[in-house]
Amino acid sequence: MATATVTPPREAAERSVRRARQIGEVLLAVENISLRFGGVRALSNVSFDIRRGEIRAIIGPNGAGKSSMLNVINGFYQPQEGRIIWKGRALSRMRPYDAAKGGIARTFQNIALFKGMSTLDNIMTGRILKMRASFFEQALWIGRGKSEELRERAFVERILDFLEITHIRHVPVGKLPYGLQKRVELARALAMEPELLLLDEPMAGMNLEEKEDMCRFILDVNEEFGTTVALIEHDMSVVMDISDRVVVLDYGRLLADGTPEEVRNDPAVIEAYLGVSHG
Amino acid sequence: MIYRETGQFRTSYAEDQAIFRLREDRIGIIVILAIAWVGIPLVADEYLLRAILIPFLILSVAAIGLNLLLGYCGQISLGTGAFMAVGAYAAYNLALRLPEIPLLIDFLLAGLIAAGIGIVFGLPSLRIKGLYLAVATLALQFFADWAFLRVHWFTNYTPSGSVTAPPLDIFGWLVDTPLEKYWLCLAFACATALFAKNLVRSRIGRSWMAIRDMDIAAEIIGIRPMHAKLSAFAVSSFIAGLAGVLWAFVHLGSWEPLAFSIDMSFRLLFMVIIGGMGSILGSFLGAAFITILPIFLNQVPAMVGIQLSTAMVSHLEFMIFGTLIVLFLIWEPHGLARLWQIGKEKMRLWPFPY
Ligand SMILES: Nc1ncnc2c1ncn2[C@@H]1O[C@H](COP(=O)(O)OP(=O)(O)OP(=O)(O)O)[C@@H](O)[C@H]1O
Ligand SMILES: [Mg+2]
Repeated sequence: MATATVTPPREAAERSVRRARQIGEVLLAVENISLRFGGVRALSNVSFDIRRGEIRAIIGPNGAGKSSMLNVINGFYQPQEGRIIWKGRALSRMRPYDAAKGGIARTFQNIALFKGMSTLDNIMTGRILKMRASFFEQALWIGRGKSEELRERAFVERILDFLEITHIRHVPVGKLPYGLQKRVELARALAMEPELLLLDEPMAGMNLEEKEDMCRFILDVNEEFGTTVALIEHDMSVVMDISDRVVVLDYGRLLADGTPEEVRNDPAVIEAYLGVSHG
Repeated sequence: MIYRETGQFRTSYAEDQAIFRLREDRIGIIVILAIAWVGIPLVADEYLLRAILIPFLILSVAAIGLNLLLGYCGQISLGTGAFMAVGAYAAYNLALRLPEIPLLIDFLLAGLIAAGIGIVFGLPSLRIKGLYLAVATLALQFFADWAFLRVHWFTNYTPSGSVTAPPLDIFGWLVDTPLEKYWLCLAFACATALFAKNLVRSRIGRSWMAIRDMDIAAEIIGIRPMHAKLSAFAVSSFIAGLAGVLWAFVHLGSWEPLAFSIDMSFRLLFMVIIGGMGSILGSFLGAAFITILPIFLNQVPAMVGIQLSTAMVSHLEFMIFGTLIVLFLIWEPHGLARLWQIGKEKMRLWPFPY
């Protein structure tokens, strides 16, 4: 199993003190979610919550239902049972558009970028919900049609800068190496200025250096903008290092939920997950 | 180094987002516009204007319309001819039945009617894709062919079904010489190109491209597929409708329902594929290619002493189109426009092969 250590122990301790102050009320809760595909039970009666400001990891063996869980949260899959409580409002189903509008952004396990568009245009799509220009303003490049483009371009430039990808702004994303594509996808999600950022295996397939960069970006986003993060990750050392709390799924069931320390010492988890080698 | 990007530092995002980012491109477009507006009118004879340039400009407009839908939004349509027909007959009937409306306003209203039909026939795109959508738009084509042939109200009960456009009176300017018609079409082509270019570099164009490239991811960042697809159908058919009006009123003068048959739809599809999907420039290149090729085939073999029959020329034409389309689809889906861009990049670096 590859490891990527980002924080030395003393700093980590300091961080946990700071974090206790940062973490706030429940932002999102899933309650008794069950999701079936024909005979396959992808999720069975899963409940957990995500608090504002925290980094929440979702782990579990392959096929455990992790990606399905994210898909339920942002409205991509409709669970047969259960409900989602988003900022205190209970919903029996979330729609992708409402999720986006409400401040949930995500990245995908298999990169879902717009291949024919440049890095810049890909990230600019993340600003679409912030733009108001009318059709004619856009067609004639007047008024808000022009001013919004420039304003949002400046915003996107800051993200490019933050993620250190200014040099590829005009490159079509289809031509970028895998690691950079992952970064562009994160950039597009960040462009939405989300309250909740869902990351599906943001470090999968990366080399050590790329993983460390990605960890650093996730921590920076969380600390600087207070963005709540829920991430799926297979690399245990990363999970233990950056997350505040961990949910463990196994065969669609919730196996454990707690701090990295608690989860690591949970006998059920050790048996079902940590005992088996992954990655 | 004919094209130099180095040394041209863009100091603001406004400059970086301009339509023509490179100084060479800006100079290039000014030269082309000067030639189009002033140079050609000075030298072109009536044949060149009437048989080549006017149809080329109108077809470019129609190709831009189809390109927005197919090249930018990824929605295939075999019904562009039908949208042109809707535009042409709408303008004809408006001019006939409501003569108090100025003709130019009729044109725009006809475009809006075509846009409305476009939205209705775009509805299937919310459910179906690719081949199935192609068939659905083909149904529109056949429906339009039938309606304009059989519903005699549209053709004002003329016995032959052929109708004649009224004199082209644009707010008091009587457009009747080939040169004036050329200028009118050029104005429409420039306006359409600018309008389309602005759209594709704005939010709406990005939402089209997002739908084209990955509709699932588009939905997740808050793009509503229905808005994006139907707006692409609306804008595309508005432009196609306008092109239909020009084709009927300016190019043909009087026409039969056959003028906008499936043949027209396919020609436009060829233009977009050969010219370059997802490129405004490509729409012009494709239109130029398809307008010029038959003329080239008619004249060049004769010049070198080979006598080809008319039937042979039209067969050759289709064989060349067919081959090129297959080649482009396999190797260069971005068409002539992409080849031009590659050529430019080569020039940019030349003579240094780094
Ligand atoms: N759209 C779908 N249709 C049918 N079955 C699905 C679908 N999506 C997921 N599943 C099934 O649901 C189960 C959970 O899949 P999911 O992708 O959520 O797992 P995961 O924990 O993300 O696994 P991995 O670590 O491999 O990404 C699997 O058995 C999978 O085959
Ligand atoms: Mg997964």
